[in-house]
Amino acid sequence: MTTPAAQTSPQPTDAERANRRPTKELVDVSVIVGGQGGDGTLTVVDLVARYFRKRGLYVYTSRNTLSRIRGGHADASVRGCRDPRAAIKAKADLLLAFDQEAIDVVRSELDPDALVLYDSTTFKADFPNSLGFPFATMVGSQLGQPIYKNTAAYGAIAVLMGFDDAITRQVIEERFKRRGAEALDKNLKALEIGRSAALEVSSAVNRWSLPEGDAHNLILTTGNQAAALGFVVGGGRFFAGYPITPATEIMEYLMKYLPNFHGVVRQGEDELASINMVIGAATTGARAMTSTSGPGLSLMTEGIGHASTAELGILVADCQRVGPSTGQPTRHEQSDLAHLAHLGHGEYPKFILSPGSAEDCFYLTVDALNLAEKWRLPVILLLDQALCQNASTVPAFDLSKVKVERPSLLTAEQVAAHETYKSYAFAPNGISPFAPVGTAGVTSQITGNEHDEWGHVSVNPVNRQKMMEKRMGKLTQARDDLPRPRYFGRKEARIGLIGFGSTSGPILEAMDALDAESIPVKYLQARTLFPVQQETLGPFFDSVDLAFVVEHNYTGQLARLIREEMPQHHSKLRSILKYDGFSFRAPDIAAPVREAFHGAKR
Amino acid sequence: MVLSAKPTPNTWCPGCGDFGVLAAAKKAILELKIPTHEAVLVGGIGCSGGIHNFIDINGVHALHGRLLAQAVAVKLANPHLTVIAAGGDGDGYAIGMGHFMHAFKKNASILYIVMNNETYGLTKGQASPTSRLGFEGNVEVPFDAILTALSIPSGAFIARTFSGDPKTMTAVLSEALQFNRDHRGYAFVEDLSPCVTYNDTFKEWREKIVNIEKLPGYDPSDRSAVFRLCSETMNAGKIPIGVMHRPKPATEAAANPLELKLLPDNIGPALADIQLDHNLPAYQKLLASAA
Repeated sequence: MTTPAAQTSPQPTDAERANRRPTKELVDVSVIVGGQGGDGTLTVVDLVARYFRKRGLYVYTSRNTLSRIRGGHADASVRGCRDPRAAIKAKADLLLAFDQEAIDVVRSELDPDALVLYDSTTFKADFPNSLGFPFATMVGSQLGQPIYKNTAAYGAIAVLMGFDDAITRQVIEERFKRRGAEALDKNLKALEIGRSAALEVSSAVNRWSLPEGDAHNLILTTGNQAAALGFVVGGGRFFAGYPITPATEIMEYLMKYLPNFHGVVRQGEDELASINMVIGAATTGARAMTSTSGPGLSLMTEGIGHASTAELGILVADCQRVGPSTGQPTRHEQSDLAHLAHLGHGEYPKFILSPGSAEDCFYLTVDALNLAEKWRLPVILLLDQALCQNASTVPAFDLSKVKVERPSLLTAEQVAAHETYKSYAFAPNGISPFAPVGTAGVTSQITGNEHDEWGHVSVNPVNRQKMMEKRMGKLTQARDDLPRPRYFGRKEARIGLIGFGSTSGPILEAMDALDAESIPVKYLQARTLFPVQQETLGPFFDSVDLAFVVEHNYTGQLARLIREEMPQHHSKLRSILKYDGFSFRAPDIAAPVREAFHGAKR
Repeated sequence: MVLSAKPTPNTWCPGCGDFGVLAAAKKAILELKIPTHEAVLVGGIGCSGGIHNFIDINGVHALHGRLLAQAVAVKLANPHLTVIAAGGDGDGYAIGMGHFMHAFKKNASILYIVMNNETYGLTKGQASPTSRLGFEGNVEVPFDAILTALSIPSGAFIARTFSGDPKTMTAVLSEALQFNRDHRGYAFVEDLSPCVTYNDTFKEWREKIVNIEKLPGYDPSDRSAVFRLCSETMNAGKIPIGVMHRPKPATEAAANPLELKLLPDNIGPALADIQLDHNLPAYQKLLASAA
């Protein structure tokens, strides 16, 4: 797979050259829309994304918003591509700006050749290659309200990018048909206002054509939505959480989904209540989850340790953002891993799983639910802002790949066949079969205190040691059960990349670029981060001379974790780090790899 | 019959007020004929929180201050269970204060018993939120849970009992549990339960308690009237006990308990059938609508 660069069409004649710029055929195009929060930038991005999807292109959208409801700069981008890309394109081709600030903020992200299309109602763009239309004025004077300026701007984009007229219109119809006849009518008129204005000048600026792709039958989803859907089909029925960016959408989706399945969603008074509600629900055998981000995770830490010692299978989705403290609530980082790997006071087992795409969020959430219940411990689903909130096109979720397995759970009938039932019975694999609180015929004691097999508080040193070994032993016993990495790239490559979460998107894109330069690279996408999967990382290290760990934090947390557990590979480890709040673009990753490759050759 | 966890020998100091609560709770559960597997006691941290070890029903030992969050979730996850949360005044009014207030808002049909001894007994006698001025150097105003509970608009059953009067306590706990089992919402009972080792107030409290139900103008359906009676009693240096709020059934339509609002079918997360093949059409519909 390669990343075709923008191609230039056959040279126009001199006469043509005088009138129009060259038409570019774009197989990978990125549009940014920026303005003040409340300008409706997201609407335009949504419309363009819908168009791209109808044309069979893979889509990736991202948002850059401030932590406020209205006002302040906000921008969003949409990428349409013939190859599957789950990353923001390094340089954007077109910016639709509703104010000068939008231009200034994203200037460095624009291709040198990019066009800035802007609403000239209130300002004149300070940018060399720009084209202004007074969208707000045109729409306001003809339709009475300037709010349809977005749709007019979409019309102009459609003309400039050579969109198909019928599909352009169809997008508007589908987007606004539910808003009633008047809204649809006004939006269609606004579309025409934008199109007509752009058509008048298009001979001078028309620069693009967008070939059709073959990405059909895909869905556009975010990691948060995919995780919420995975939770439902994985049998999750209880959710408690506290609003926090970028985790909130998981709760919001589940508020919509779960009531149809005898499920319950509670918004707790804080994260302490949320994690403890999840723990309470788990005592009854319900599959339960909370979702949070760094600050909430800190508050939940005591509860997670309690759940592990009480041997309650729960799921905690940590949607990482810039920390510590309130940090940058809307920005991207992967800096909770070190905290999670050594989570809390005392020692206890937990698993940390990390999906590498929105699609993976769906399936890995199901796996996480099965693992939490089977091994009777907390499972952390480690997400990050880009994975949570950026939308990408992925294959429709396939229920035939979903399994709901409950091997550790005892029903009333099963438990009746036993002479005794002990909540924490010693077992060779560390798993005590679990009859949830409420099971007919038995009573249980569930506690976070050290306890004997019955769940009675115990300070007996022999019991303490055995119980510690039973619980901690799960980390070894479960190894074969834990999700394996995904491998990409060239087997023979001597340079390796290791990453997790949303970095998979830019890593895969960087690999295509490197491949085109005949720089062979391979990639291990880690899906189980804790316990550190020595059995998969070991052979990977053995097969390379150099391994770059790609992550969004300052200290190289995954690299440090690997170094701690596998010091023998220390000399092969390198880090590619980014901690400015924005996600990797492919060149950020390709550049150091390229340098290492050529350095090694010298 | 399967042998499962049974109560353990009691570890409280002889004469501890908490014995009164334990005896009354056992009697109330027997009186109401609640099967042991259908009853859950969620205990807090502290001497009183250990009560789940000493009673023959399911026990859940929660984190310090978090028993209400866990107890509410047990009820929501399996609305068929009878759920009692029980802990001390430090657990409920200090570290757990946020959940204490929100429990009235949530209005799940669970019973919360606070054994108030006005001290942290297990850590050897520090001042608690309810300690009087001067106790162990306390310079903060003592917190009153009944006045606070009465001030929160809710359909909750509210009462205060005294461990020195086990008969009344049994009657109150029975009524509270029946209130829960009728899905009428939240019940809060504060029991004055002296710590015989670090703050033995048995004699003092026995002299100071006033049964509010016997005062003129007492109407348990009128929260503001009872609030006034309590204030006046406290201003006179006495301690009001009795049923503080017994809402009229007719006024409860607006205050439907949480589990009925959320689970009209009364099945709930724990008993929901999560087998994939039993849910396939609904899941397919969900995925299609979400796409």
